Amino acid sequence: MSEFTLTTVEEFEAATNRLLETGAKVGADSWQMRVKNQTPHCKFGENGVCCRICSMGPCRITPKAPRGICGCDAHGIVGRNFLRFVAGGAATHSDHGREICNTLGHTEAGGTYQVKDPAKLIRIAKEWGVETEGKDIYDLAHEMSEIALSEYGKNHGISRWLSRAPEHTREIWHREGIEPRAIDREVSCAMHMTHMGNSCKPEALIRQSLRNGLSDGWGGSMCGTEFSDVLFGTPKEIQTEANLGVMVEENVNIVVHGHDPSLSEIICDLADSKEMQDYAKTFGAKGITVSGVCCTSNEVAMRRGIPMAGNFLQQENVVLTGACEAIVVDVQCIFPALGPLSKCFHTKFITTSPICQMPDSEFIEFDTGSAAEKAKKIVMLACENFQNRKKELVYIPQMKHKAWVGYSVEEIVHKLDGVTNSQVDTTGSTRPLLECVTSGVLRGAVAMVGCNNPKVRPDTAHIEMMKKLIAKDIIIIASGCSAQAAAKAGLMDKAAKDLCGAGLKRVCELADIPPVLHMGSCVDISRMMILAAELSKDSGLAISQLPVVGCAPEWMSEKAVSIGNYVVATGLDTFLGVVPYCAGSDQVAGLLTDGIRDWVEAAYTVETDIDKLCELMIERIEQKRAALGI
Amino acid sequence: MTLFDRVFSGNDAVYGLTEGAINDAISKYGEDKAVSFPDTAYSLPCYYSVTGTKVTTLKELKDALGVVKSLMTRDHQLNDAFMSGVATALCAEFIEVLKYIDGQVPYELPIYGHLADAVIRELGVPLVTGDIPGVAVILGSAPSVEDAVALVKSYQAQGILVTLVGGVIDQVMEAGMNTGANVRVIPLGKDVTAVIHVVSVALRAALIFGNVKPGDAATLMDYTMKRVPAFVNAFKPLDDVIVACGAGAIALGFPVITNETENIFRVPKSLIVQEDVSKFNATSLEARDIKIKITNVDIPVAFASAFEGEIIRRKDMQVEFDGSRVDCAELVHTVDASEIEDHKITLIGPDLDEMADGSKNSIAYVVKVAGKKMQPDFEPVIERKFHNYINCIEGVYHTGQRDMQRIRVSHAAFNAGFRAKHIGEVLYTQVKNEFDAVVDKCEVVIYTDPAECTRIRHEVAIPIFNKRDDRLANLTDESVEVYYSCILCQAFSPSHVCVVTPERLGLCGAVSWLDAKATNELDPTGPCQVITKERPIDENLGSYEDVDEAVKKFSQGALEHVTLYSIMQDPMTSCGCFECICGIEPFSNGVVIANREYAGMTPLGMTFPEMASMTGGGVQTPGFMGHGKHFIASKKFMKAEGGVERIVWMPKELKETVAERLNKTAKDLYGIDNFTDMIGDETIATDPEELVGFLTEKGHPALGLDPMM
Repeated sequence: MSEFTLTTVEEFEAATNRLLETGAKVGADSWQMRVKNQTPHCKFGENGVCCRICSMGPCRITPKAPRGICGCDAHGIVGRNFLRFVAGGAATHSDHGREICNTLGHTEAGGTYQVKDPAKLIRIAKEWGVETEGKDIYDLAHEMSEIALSEYGKNHGISRWLSRAPEHTREIWHREGIEPRAIDREVSCAMHMTHMGNSCKPEALIRQSLRNGLSDGWGGSMCGTEFSDVLFGTPKEIQTEANLGVMVEENVNIVVHGHDPSLSEIICDLADSKEMQDYAKTFGAKGITVSGVCCTSNEVAMRRGIPMAGNFLQQENVVLTGACEAIVVDVQCIFPALGPLSKCFHTKFITTSPICQMPDSEFIEFDTGSAAEKAKKIVMLACENFQNRKKELVYIPQMKHKAWVGYSVEEIVHKLDGVTNSQVDTTGSTRPLLECVTSGVLRGAVAMVGCNNPKVRPDTAHIEMMKKLIAKDIIIIASGCSAQAAAKAGLMDKAAKDLCGAGLKRVCELADIPPVLHMGSCVDISRMMILAAELSKDSGLAISQLPVVGCAPEWMSEKAVSIGNYVVATGLDTFLGVVPYCAGSDQVAGLLTDGIRDWVEAAYTVETDIDKLCELMIERIEQKRAALGI
Repeated sequence: MTLFDRVFSGNDAVYGLTEGAINDAISKYGEDKAVSFPDTAYSLPCYYSVTGTKVTTLKELKDALGVVKSLMTRDHQLNDAFMSGVATALCAEFIEVLKYIDGQVPYELPIYGHLADAVIRELGVPLVTGDIPGVAVILGSAPSVEDAVALVKSYQAQGILVTLVGGVIDQVMEAGMNTGANVRVIPLGKDVTAVIHVVSVALRAALIFGNVKPGDAATLMDYTMKRVPAFVNAFKPLDDVIVACGAGAIALGFPVITNETENIFRVPKSLIVQEDVSKFNATSLEARDIKIKITNVDIPVAFASAFEGEIIRRKDMQVEFDGSRVDCAELVHTVDASEIEDHKITLIGPDLDEMADGSKNSIAYVVKVAGKKMQPDFEPVIERKFHNYINCIEGVYHTGQRDMQRIRVSHAAFNAGFRAKHIGEVLYTQVKNEFDAVVDKCEVVIYTDPAECTRIRHEVAIPIFNKRDDRLANLTDESVEVYYSCILCQAFSPSHVCVVTPERLGLCGAVSWLDAKATNELDPTGPCQVITKERPIDENLGSYEDVDEAVKKFSQGALEHVTLYSIMQDPMTSCGCFECICGIEPFSNGVVIANREYAGMTPLGMTFPEMASMTGGGVQTPGFMGHGKHFIASKKFMKAEGGVERIVWMPKELKETVAERLNKTAKDLYGIDNFTDMIGDETIATDPEELVGFLTEKGHPALGLDPMM
């Protein structure tokens, strides 16, 4: 039997160091250097006690100066800053979702954008009480687009998506007054509440944080995920590869980066075309390779098996290979550093969204109407740029791993159907997974999500925790940059079953899955909410009773905090490996790590020692099992 | 209580019993008393497989129990439950072996207890061909006798091997059901610990066919999970001990299906609650992914491979056809498509109801086939299958072949409406099923008219048989252009490859060169592939670059070189289901051959199972080689070492079987008359020195040959 081995973080780092040598040669800057320049970080900022909300300040809280000029104390300042952080994240995800809803309105038969999963569109329409009988699928798509867009600004009522949650969860949200209303309204409300001279009561601020988070996870993000599936297809199991080795030296390399699949989907379509492949050949390349970074990569990997070049902190490495003809970005998590860096190489840094405009980039504005034309322009530009490569600078670390991805909730259920017995079971449910959990074959599940953050040795927390958890028979669902860390290491290879405990190994073998299931981009954490809801409904247990927790060990963005809030508010304990800017208020920190448990049956645990964080998760899972007597 | 706690509790209970039983045995017999199971080279098979350590005395058994204890970890992961299940199984093995201590005979037929290595080797071929599609382990008492019988029969009808443990044995006995290995229903024992005897079969299969290294528990469990299609049906009530045994079964990859609903957990594809016992069969097959080849033959009795070994005694017999007394024949004959009508079955002569009860009659059946790809070489291949086809009919029994076949039809089958045309129906359906790639049309004519039978036998069949024999006699390794590989056994023995030549049939005895050729024709991408012989390296050894390349390819690199005619240099490997094994006997410069049926000692100081355990699993062991019975008389039998004159010893029965052909070979090769008289057997000597004495007295040629080592 051949021994299965993972790629280690040390090997990742060796490759990065080799690339940084190239960077040094051309005088490039790097995040590693900038971290040094920025350390130590501002303590007031870290503790969340700096208030810049009005121009009387900035005020910062010290033992000698316990209140700002307006009289607000540390708890109010920390609470307001926290809520604004959440609002930033919720706005970002939700605006991404809005773009997708908008694209849905521009679909047409045979057009650039089409409805690839009509069954899913009809299913959602029925959920929303929209008549589907005898309706042309594109008429329905346009109607649904309008309704979905109105979810962002409707005057009355609560998010339509909440109806998907189990009754017990909906009761909690109602009871606690945190049912999200119109998606944009919760962001506005957060901004309003935190304006000078408004709320400074931690309970009120944290309650709105949860509500705003929910407007993301059970609102804007869910729009993004669900209608992306309708547009581009619901992910199914597919094999791909991950890490820089997916870039092909002889080919034109186009790297897509960002979050919104509307552009990258069309680029992938075009790059595959004979016309473009031939065009690439006229410049001496053998063909075109599209690979991805960050969540745009996750989107196209999940649906098309496009390889993943890397995650968040690897975005500069892609350019440092010297073999990247174009890095094409849409929105979110794009380092402004890519502009100056690309100037050190032949790489074209192409920005495409009015939301994300940067110096030193070529701006080719992308919109649904001109998508195909713009995409073609971009691909041609990349091909033409092949001849400008500086050969002496080209070095692609030959490091990659096989990965099985594409585990949407629908696909997970489909995989579970494969282990049912038609003589005793029904299909189409999460019951087989629940049976594995109640019998003890699986101890539980952890949703591993979130970013990279230089405060944690990149990818280490993701990979080391996953290794430990799968050895303990805990199955992992992953998304975003966490999923990419797993893929790069090899944890999404089905052979990784050999690293699991006997229970998870058996489950992987019988269901034919890897132990770490890629559920998509960060927006797709909404899939995890749907999965939790289904598990709850199928088991008759509250979500908070399930031996399932969430974990973001290397998180960094506002989106991550928004996500954390909706995950906790849905009833799942969430474990963080990076401290949010809340340490300056024991009241706010106390609420987040304990107090909100009385409201939503779950809370945060923060621990920067990754081993301890992992132990705490396992402990929590076992506590939940013990409480259920399983 | 959680599922794992139940496993732990059951495991603790069995461990306690085992400890007590071993201590009692030690105080009664002393520590040095030998313990072993009969007829196995792997004693104690389960413990040996899992740990790599053999146990021979009570003292060692007690030490082994210490090892078992170390498996009984009590954390709460599946591995703890799996290992506790395995520990429970090992304890059961210890309890069972104690029953055999001091020459006791704890089980008597119809109950089997421990199963011999030979049984496993016999199961190899039918398991890989899917003839036995699965192995059912039925445990406990069914809700009623009728339920028990119905369940067992349902598996039997599918050809599944059924083993019984506990109350179900009494239930099938009460119903008067016929049991035994020949009808694939094997009662193991009434104590739950007797379940170990089937586990022992699965684990020994891994050692024999899979070349799993004893002690490599992970590979062992991977082998049983992927390659042994067993499953458990456990009737309620399930106590903790049975739950613990179940954990052991699931650890090996065998799902447990139960009707227990109290205090039980469900695990997909592993622990399945099926309240309706009548659905155990379907639920189990689906859980273990066993697909049954459905053969719908339009006859009034059942048709299944489980009935292949059924014997019809004279008192149960309605009529008999006997080629040794009256004129009979069975024949496949290739004709032009225009001459026959597909599925036409004609009877010429009286039907069974016109024959006297208990009478002996003539029968001849000619199966006329036509097809664009049909070749006369395939006729005997198809014909050889008739034995199997007719035997699979419930209540009908067939032996022999050509014009020497013997068929009995039972009263029960006759009373159910079985008539002569149904033989035709069976032959038609099966030929069309299995040979559809070469047979486009098929018509059957059955003769029972004695005069017609005489005519068919002497004027049609015998001339054809003679022609075929001439062709076979001329069919030598030198006279053909290509050989064939056979990897049918790779389902079990992943690195074994047979090279089948005209003078060397597959070691299982079931695949001749003609069979391989037909198999290749029927399924060009299947188990038998053409091997060219264009680049000889050493024709005396039978080594070819082409053969080496093929062997390397089909063994996925496990084997690099194989010779066709040497047992010393790169001998051909075995899967484990060989009919015979030969091994070098150093005192006489010769070789000893033992066959699977032979239970006694050989002059090598080893029994067949012990010799057999030296090879198998696709491993080359110079000096030992598995082979078919037919190969013994081949001119190519260890030709590189001098040929058949090296044979110094064989069991008497085997010697008699091969005598005529072997004597002819010896005469042709060396001019020796009655060579077999020079060969020792167990009635002459099982001691090497005595054997040499006998050989010297007879002037056996091996003594004068160069030493082989």
